[in-house]
Amino acid sequence: MTLPARRRTPRADRIFVALMLAPSLLILAAFYLYPILSNVWFSLTDLSLLKLRRGGSYIGLANYAEALGGADFWRVVWNTAFWLTAVSVVVRLLLGMALALLLHSQALLRLRLRTLMRLALLVPWATPPIVAVAVWRWLLNPQAGGVNRALLWLGVIDQPVAFLASTATVWPAIVLILLWNTLPVVTLTLLAALQSVPQELGEAAALDGAGGVRIFRHVTLPHIMPTIAILSMLMVFWTFNNFAYVWLATGAGPGRYTDVLATEVYLRGFVDFNLGSSAAIGVIMAITMGTFGLIYVRVLGRRVTS
Amino acid sequence: MRPRARIGDGAVLLAAVATLVFLLYPAVVIFSGSLQTNETLFARNRFDLTWGNYRRIFDAGFGTYLSNSLVICLAATIVATVVSVMAAYVFSRRRFRLRRLLLTGVVAGQWFPWVVLVTPLFILFARSGLTNSYTGMILCYTAISIPFSVYLLLGYLETVPRELDEAALVDGCTPLGALWHVVLPVMLPGVVATATYAFLLCWTDYLLALALLTRPDMKTLPLGLYQFFGEDTTDWGAVMAGSAVATLPALLLFLPLQRWLVSGLTAGSVKQ
Repeated sequence: MTLPARRRTPRADRIFVALMLAPSLLILAAFYLYPILSNVWFSLTDLSLLKLRRGGSYIGLANYAEALGGADFWRVVWNTAFWLTAVSVVVRLLLGMALALLLHSQALLRLRLRTLMRLALLVPWATPPIVAVAVWRWLLNPQAGGVNRALLWLGVIDQPVAFLASTATVWPAIVLILLWNTLPVVTLTLLAALQSVPQELGEAAALDGAGGVRIFRHVTLPHIMPTIAILSMLMVFWTFNNFAYVWLATGAGPGRYTDVLATEVYLRGFVDFNLGSSAAIGVIMAITMGTFGLIYVRVLGRRVTS
Repeated sequence: MRPRARIGDGAVLLAAVATLVFLLYPAVVIFSGSLQTNETLFARNRFDLTWGNYRRIFDAGFGTYLSNSLVICLAATIVATVVSVMAAYVFSRRRFRLRRLLLTGVVAGQWFPWVVLVTPLFILFARSGLTNSYTGMILCYTAISIPFSVYLLLGYLETVPRELDEAALVDGCTPLGALWHVVLPVMLPGVVATATYAFLLCWTDYLLALALLTRPDMKTLPLGLYQFFGEDTTDWGAVMAGSAVATLPALLLFLPLQRWLVSGLTAGSVKQ
């Protein structure tokens, strides 16, 4: 695209572009590019946290071989890909959609609950994840937690359950915390998309005799698909890479049962002091998300690079 | 009203009430718990109103953590927003060599797990004396905010007609003048929303603070909050009070800004 004003020389404009980009690019070079490149180097060494001064010696791909060969690693990959990411994203999308439809419904407006609901959604949304984990650790605790009290009262369980300490319940409990904290942003984004669907489309389909479900499938859903796609991608990035939810809720426990890639990087580096092998896991993580992101740009990329 | 509609309304009412309880109950627990003594937290049907939890956490240094968090996050938010607006503007309005590569590189920053940055930054900070410094944390938080900020701002810039700044240039504005006097006022809601997201990103970070801040007097709120969780016993009253203090600024930002915040996330996804 050429600009109509051409009193300024192209050279002056090039300098302008360079000066505008320089601060961001310099900061990102120092705090993203440099760390990523040194991480790649660390991953090829036996660098240890205890011998930082000595530095590490080059050991080739041994760290990767060790990581990819271990059964534990694949359990960690499964935890990250399935429990932390896939399950939580699908659950949030489905419940977010249901809640958005509820908020969009005439019935809720008739009951004068729409504004209250919107305000209520702000509360979990504004709650920092660190606080969300803290309060759910209280609610799920076996001594006096509200969840245990409610389930005991309802007769669902006979005795208190330590939700975050038992392998049977710990993953659903972590997903519940994620759900509570991030359901609002999913719901409100989907609601905004629903509200952008032209009313005439649905009305025309209704005149042609289409029922509610068919209108949703053939009119509403195609219209809000781009929003769902972008939202899903953002959620995948936010959760796959997330350290705080799992670390603060369980410390990757019980044992290392809920260990995910982000906590594994931290555990190997700062608990086992093995920075080289920690870096290798980090590189594998970054490559996974980088590939995922590039596919995303290819498929939906007009948003990012148009 | 027809019976069927009445049954429908009943179901909607039930769903709405259940949702409201789910959304609000944890927050109620935080605020009511923060005003109870640790003994009554565990007891049924008893409630001893007290400010003791708040007094205890501020005696334990929560005031310092709060001011550390405010200084670091506000500074990082301002720097990140200014440099992101500059970058997003030329990415959106100019075509130049390497544009695609640089833009993908910047936006790709939000794909990368921060945990990957921890070890190299830990070593870099230790070598350059930035560990336990405001400068180091501010630069670090600026860096993690830039990718998402540029991404959001690009979406908002799409909604500002190009003709506006082109007309300003024809009228003799400098490029920077066109951005400052013409584009910025139109996209101000977007800039405010972007700054809010950046602030919250910094405000809630636990990981980088954990690695880069080791001195007690430099800790930020998230680190301060989690020191009340002990190996064996947890000071729940203090946790609740600390949680309330950490949530309040975020809630105050969200209430007036909610609509702007929602529109930004997928701003570019619905093409007119």
